[in-house]
Amino acid sequence: MTTAGARVPLWRDVRVLQWIIQLVVVAAAVLALFWLYGNYTENSERLNIPTSLDFLDNPTSFEITGNDLSQNAPVRDAYYEGFLNTLRVSVAGIVAATVLGTIIGIGRLSQNWLVRKMATVYVEAVRNVPLVLFLIAGFLAIVLGVFPQIADAWEPLGLAVISNRGIAIPWYDGAGYGLLVIGLIAAVVAWAVSRWRQVLFARTGTTPRTGLWAGGAFLAVVLIGWFGLGYAWSIPEIDGRLTTGGIRIDPSFFALFFALVIYTASHIAEIVRGSIQAVPKGQGEAASALALSGFQRMWYVVLPQAFRIAIPPIGNQYLNLIKNSSLGAGIGYYDLTLVTQTTVGNGSPAVPAFAITLAVYVTISLVTSVFVNIANRRFKLVER
Amino acid sequence: MSGAVTWLRRNLFRSPVDAVVTVIAAVVAGWVLWRTLNFVFVTGRWEIIRVNLRLMLIGRFPEAHELRIAVTVVSLSAWGGLLAGIVRARQVKAGRVDAGDTKFGVRRVADLAERFWIPLLLVVLLLALAGTVGPVIVAVLSVVAAVIGRLIGPVIGRLELPAIGRTVLVTVLLAIPVILYFYVVTAVGFDDWGGFMLNLFLAACSIILCYPIGVLLALGRRSTLPLVRVVCTVFIEIIRGAPLFVLLLFANVALGFFVPESLVPSTSTRAIVVFTLFTAAYMAEIIRGGLQSVPSGQFEAAKALGLSPVRQTFLIVLPQAIRNVIPAQIGQLISLFKDTALAGVAMGSFELLRVSQAITQQDDFAGQGLIGETLAFGAVMFWAISYTMSRESQRFETRLGVGVR
Amino acid sequence: MSDAMTDGTTDGGGAPDATVFADATQVAGTGDVMIEVESVDKFFDDFQALKDIDVKVGRQEVVVVIGPSGSGKSTLIRCINRLEEHDAGRIVVDGVELSNDVRNIQEIRRETGMVFQQFNLFPHLSVLDNITLAPRNVRKMPKAEAEKLGMELLERVRIPEQAKKYPGQLSGGQQQRVAIARSLAMKPKVMLFDEPTSALDPEMINEVLDTMKDLAREGMTMIVVTHEMGFAREVADRVVFMADGQIVEVGTPEHFFTNPQEDRTKLFLSQILD
Repeated sequence: MTTAGARVPLWRDVRVLQWIIQLVVVAAAVLALFWLYGNYTENSERLNIPTSLDFLDNPTSFEITGNDLSQNAPVRDAYYEGFLNTLRVSVAGIVAATVLGTIIGIGRLSQNWLVRKMATVYVEAVRNVPLVLFLIAGFLAIVLGVFPQIADAWEPLGLAVISNRGIAIPWYDGAGYGLLVIGLIAAVVAWAVSRWRQVLFARTGTTPRTGLWAGGAFLAVVLIGWFGLGYAWSIPEIDGRLTTGGIRIDPSFFALFFALVIYTASHIAEIVRGSIQAVPKGQGEAASALALSGFQRMWYVVLPQAFRIAIPPIGNQYLNLIKNSSLGAGIGYYDLTLVTQTTVGNGSPAVPAFAITLAVYVTISLVTSVFVNIANRRFKLVER
Repeated sequence: MSGAVTWLRRNLFRSPVDAVVTVIAAVVAGWVLWRTLNFVFVTGRWEIIRVNLRLMLIGRFPEAHELRIAVTVVSLSAWGGLLAGIVRARQVKAGRVDAGDTKFGVRRVADLAERFWIPLLLVVLLLALAGTVGPVIVAVLSVVAAVIGRLIGPVIGRLELPAIGRTVLVTVLLAIPVILYFYVVTAVGFDDWGGFMLNLFLAACSIILCYPIGVLLALGRRSTLPLVRVVCTVFIEIIRGAPLFVLLLFANVALGFFVPESLVPSTSTRAIVVFTLFTAAYMAEIIRGGLQSVPSGQFEAAKALGLSPVRQTFLIVLPQAIRNVIPAQIGQLISLFKDTALAGVAMGSFELLRVSQAITQQDDFAGQGLIGETLAFGAVMFWAISYTMSRESQRFETRLGVGVR
Repeated sequence: MSDAMTDGTTDGGGAPDATVFADATQVAGTGDVMIEVESVDKFFDDFQALKDIDVKVGRQEVVVVIGPSGSGKSTLIRCINRLEEHDAGRIVVDGVELSNDVRNIQEIRRETGMVFQQFNLFPHLSVLDNITLAPRNVRKMPKAEAEKLGMELLERVRIPEQAKKYPGQLSGGQQQRVAIARSLAMKPKVMLFDEPTSALDPEMINEVLDTMKDLAREGMTMIVVTHEMGFAREVADRVVFMADGQIVEVGTPEHFFTNPQEDRTKLFLSQILD
């Protein structure tokens, strides 16, 4: 018989029990970390390996391809370069994979039988093979195996130079951020034009053709700026065993980019297809019932809803791509991972060196997921 | 004839634009197809695969002990058949599936062939490449064993066993793979395994080990106790934020620092540790999704009946949660299987991809540019298994009725 | 246990003939108090769901709680078996006080059956397994005995033929009857019903109400949150009307439906009875 207000024995009190469980879990985690850390310091002392981050100030004693960092530059500079390289290939890869993946994903739903089948074969063939296999194949088989020696380099239309020493493509001549500024101005102008078309559409009902107008405005501004500021194309040419002019893409960058794009596009394609199919059929039917055209139905009704569904999984694929870019280390692309590997190989302490790298990757991942979450919240359907 | 024309009209030439697209697509498809066929039947020099088939499949496993692998493969086939039979019979008994669904005879064979023609074709190809009689015998015996197991399974499944009998049965079934593992490992410790066998082994070990950890992490992250939640969330997010490749590299050079000198693990063990922890973090997120999909009313009903928190979780919520996300779990399994190829690049494990690269350096083949052939072979091996698994998963999904609108 | 219970309550013997109750602590039925809710407050963040609630329920008494949605009636019965934790006051069920003591919580849950609006049957278990789960795991009953009990209960709710099926294969009304059988399998002293017919198609409501009427006739102590006024009129010993987390009025069904005192009650009844 429990009388009112009687004190509950501690070992039966829900709250006490909850605290005990929590303390046990935390204690186990702390103990495990303690054990690992103890072993680490002990082993480091035994092997006389420093545990501090001082190694960041030591000279790198290696060179990063395509970068004029000297061998005497401190390790921290090499880390920074590696980080930039990781970002470079990731951003380029994300843009290209999104474009390719979207095209293939829409292709999977095409009314054209051949296109549909080809897209399906692509997706099923690519996503069931390890990414690293594409990477090795891209590097060893295509770049080193299929691409010609520099002496017999392919020069399609005389515009690019493709050889096993890299791909040189036309680029603009001139230094500084002038072109970037022009691009920004053009984007702003294009945005203004598109707003104007929308306002006009609202007022008079004329077909807006926003894309056409905005694109045209963008192009016009860029062209004016290009000629106005006197930019010129620089076409790559073979010069002995090297190329001059244009911009040269390293073979390892090309192979990594190629593998990341091919592989990620197959996943993005599936997401695009799934998201479009996930929009309830009634939505399309309702749009048709309102006499919207096929394009209008897709553009105003189906795609905006599919886009919302696709944001979280696509964000996930971007994250995967960034993390997968670390594989570039396997073929000599100097990203964050290869810099770490090399610096450890040259005598930097392994644990602190890798701890920094892991911390950077985790931070990139967390920052990316914060952005994805913001986008997701921003576009989420308002529901009661 | 007009039927074909209508079909072409509707599917390939709806409009002028469509016709142009079709022509371009046809050219691209034709070119790719031609290049592929040309490579497979004309320019490809497959001698290197034939010569190194053993190396690619089982690494440097000593020939003297090969019989152990054969026995294991046959036994596992029988075991798999047995398990399938028992599960099926129990489902029928519980009224979960209709006994009438089972097909017999030719239809059954046709059904299985339709589902598994890719791996079957692959096996036939491998047997043809091997060119000796031993592997053929093993393959035939495996099929026979699987069929016998599948036929005996239902008999066992239908038995009304007392509690002790059931415990014995489960123990025996669980023990079989363990015994087989020790049977093979006593001949050659798994550190020296190689080839595709190593890929399969790494994946199998990691999936088994990651499961309990993943479930606990998922439950921890969903816990009402804030500290437990924090510990689990931090672990999951750190692992998920880091690239698997970097974790493997890290484990390769630095895992030895974190254990006493006497316990420094071998390469394969390191790989298993990393794959297990990595997959556990992802599995935890998948199972957490499953837990979220179980309505809170299930918890409440279990509580109201007076079930303890442990029973609420393991009898009511977890079974439903895990069932709800089976397709995602299979997806993760496929992903893990593909990732085992990283062990070669990151740690120098002698798995299939590494073997594929290494054999192009052999005296007989060096400098002949055969990397395309060996990588293509590796790709086909990975592809056949991953693709079949994902198709089976889709089939399962349709049968469950999840994901069908 | 009941010896200590009779004192400290109101003038026992709770008169079924009394038409108006001063408050909800006056019990009908045999006069023993089964459930005692005293000055209970419950907050959800800033929102106060229960404000100083006092209710007593006598042994074998049937109390029907009615009120508009959001009035706190579900919260009240969910507090009684600790699906929600009350923030102030006392709740005593059959002499056991609901406190932070795990043993008391478990004891009260064992003695209290609950039936939910959404049935909450376990979809991965067959009907019979749903029923035998708790007796086997909580009461440690042997399997054969539990299944015998389960079949008896299924007979009682008139669907023994469904024992081997899964919840998803049953109609809503059948599912709710299985849910009642599942609760009864623990041989509870009290049954709590949280809008048991609200999720049902109209034609299935009666089969569930009939089962509940049988239970009431057999002398089960019941608290029923419902909108079924016919049921309240026929079965209830007392009707409690709640609004905004407070008990507004308590009375016998007769008093309640013919001569409500409070304006709030009159308004509610006029809305619900057209």
